[in-house]
Amino acid sequence: MTTYDLIFYLFALIILVSAFIVVAARNIIYSAFSLLFTFFGVAGIYVLLNADFIAVVQVIIYVGGILVLIIFGVMLTNKITEVEIKTESFQVLPSIIISGIIGGTLVAIFTKTNWKVAEPQILDKTVTEIGRFLVSHYMILFELAGIILLVALIGSVMIARKEKLETEEVEK
Amino acid sequence: MENNSIQNILESLNYFTPELALMLTFFVLLLVDLFFRKSKYLLPAISLVGFIVSGYLLVYTPDVKGFLFSTGMTNIGLYVIDPFSFFFKILILLAMIYTILFSLSSKEINEAGGNRGEYYVLLSSFALGMFLLTSTIDLLLMYLSFELVSLSSYILAGFTRNVKRSAEASLKYIIFGAVASGAMLYGISILYGLTGTTNLYLINFYLSNQNIESLPLVIAGLLIIGGIGFKISMAPFHFWTPDVYEGAPITITAVLSVASKAAGFALLIRSLKIMFIDYTATNLQSSAWAILSQFKWNELIAGLAVLTMTLGNLAALWQSNLKRMLAYSSIAHAGYMLTGFVILDNQGIMAILIYFFIYLFMNLGAFFVVMLIADKLGSEEMEDYTGLGYKAPFLGVSLTIFLISLTGIPPTAGFVAKLYLFGALIKAKWIWLAVIGVLNSVISLYYYLKVVKNMFLRESEIEYSHNLGHGNLLITLSLLIPTLLFGIYFKPIIEFAEQSVRIFGF
Repeated sequence: MTTYDLIFYLFALIILVSAFIVVAARNIIYSAFSLLFTFFGVAGIYVLLNADFIAVVQVIIYVGGILVLIIFGVMLTNKITEVEIKTESFQVLPSIIISGIIGGTLVAIFTKTNWKVAEPQILDKTVTEIGRFLVSHYMILFELAGIILLVALIGSVMIARKEKLETEEVEK
Repeated sequence: MENNSIQNILESLNYFTPELALMLTFFVLLLVDLFFRKSKYLLPAISLVGFIVSGYLLVYTPDVKGFLFSTGMTNIGLYVIDPFSFFFKILILLAMIYTILFSLSSKEINEAGGNRGEYYVLLSSFALGMFLLTSTIDLLLMYLSFELVSLSSYILAGFTRNVKRSAEASLKYIIFGAVASGAMLYGISILYGLTGTTNLYLINFYLSNQNIESLPLVIAGLLIIGGIGFKISMAPFHFWTPDVYEGAPITITAVLSVASKAAGFALLIRSLKIMFIDYTATNLQSSAWAILSQFKWNELIAGLAVLTMTLGNLAALWQSNLKRMLAYSSIAHAGYMLTGFVILDNQGIMAILIYFFIYLFMNLGAFFVVMLIADKLGSEEMEDYTGLGYKAPFLGVSLTIFLISLTGIPPTAGFVAKLYLFGALIKAKWIWLAVIGVLNSVISLYYYLKVVKNMFLRESEIEYSHNLGHGNLLITLSLLIPTLLFGIYFKPIIEFAEQSVRIFGF
């Protein structure tokens, strides 16, 4: 096992453990903070894959933006730390069996398959390459992603406004 | 290289005009909504114009043009135009235009007040997503347009505010949808790991020239079929359908049951056909699944089709809410259409296309009449339909014809659809499947006719008078006439479908 492998498994471990805490934690604050480590772990893996720009973007957008927003949202919501989240597990045994089967199959696939391995390339400027791809080969995808985000934005505003109207009605 | 690729993109845009028209409609609606909030007819008018312009451009773009947006690295692009996609785009546009017309007279939509603008904006982005789904040949574009369709429909399903079941429908839809698209993405990632490309044609090339382990391929195929199966409400991924269809505004239910299903089927047929077919074989019937010969795909899909139609029909038997019953019946219809997919030769695909075209009219018609009655009665319960046939004879008779057509009894168009589908099955020696299909149609007769019985054979005391208005009368007639006409004179659809089975590269 080389150092490279060792670092990879370290990050993988961080991602798995913290992601598990996100799901399992009872307090939503713990979940949010645990998500921080998941995002950092993913960024670490990007660095290992030579995708420096993506790693930086991951840290800036997910850790710096989205996570902070989540935590703010949690903190600004009244009394959320006191609210017991109703996460109960039922049907534990069947779900363990089913996810065990699915997980086992996936692990078998990942260890046994001959994946197509691309030649490792070391680029000095990943940003230029990504930019070039986004406005040439993947231009239509780039534009489409813009529309998707706009639709998501419209949707979230609509839902938020809906709640506001409802509370107004309640106040009346 | 740069100049060359820009040239190529600019050239491709000439063939991309119908989609561009939809994008433009989307943005114009968004802007107009900002300034003219009060006007009732402006937004629907703009959407209608947008859809019609898009349809016009669609008819006048060339028939076949492969590999749009190909640049640099690979010469195989992201997008194709072929008769197959043309057929589904026409279908989607028709469904969208009808939805806009329905919305004009729908009480639910018009009483939603401030959000009406977003409704039309999202309908156009929904149409755009479905357009892209019908002609994408790249897994990345496929995933993104899948998400566009899903996101628009999640929001539209929860559109009517203050209605609890609508919000519930939206939330359920999001949760199921997220799982489905996650599964599909996982399948895509496995496929990419095996082949190193996201282009369907290159994947096919790689799969047929290299020795690929079958297990990962089967799992990837299953996950992708599962993801798309969610969209077409194939069992066992159909659980969301009744709740969402019941909770969503009825115009959205109508469009979800026709257009979004059509896009799902187009995607399913195109992606699996391109990826897994063996080009070298001459006999398409046996070679359809040649690359995946280790696994009996057609039998799996036949099983799923049987499961889908049987579950849909049996659950529909117990429903007392008409909207929910139509939801289950639309699951059953997805099952019938899946049987055509089992064969996967031109005959089978042609049968699916014919079925879809007819299903468009009869299903939209049924939903429209239910909507008109629900706006008046304030309920979709079957009990409230008692004696309606005498109080609103035109609506009663129309609904009866639509339901009979959905069952597949001559002389309605539904019979022609089922005839071609089961005929194709028998020709391909899937006789047991055809028998189960016919038996299922018999089951469906019971619950469709239960409505008719309630309307005509029972008296009721409820006061009901319906002044339909010329617009609604015309819309109902424009759905009713094809349903009857295509039952007798169906040559044009058959010819249209025959021309449209051509998928690019075959």
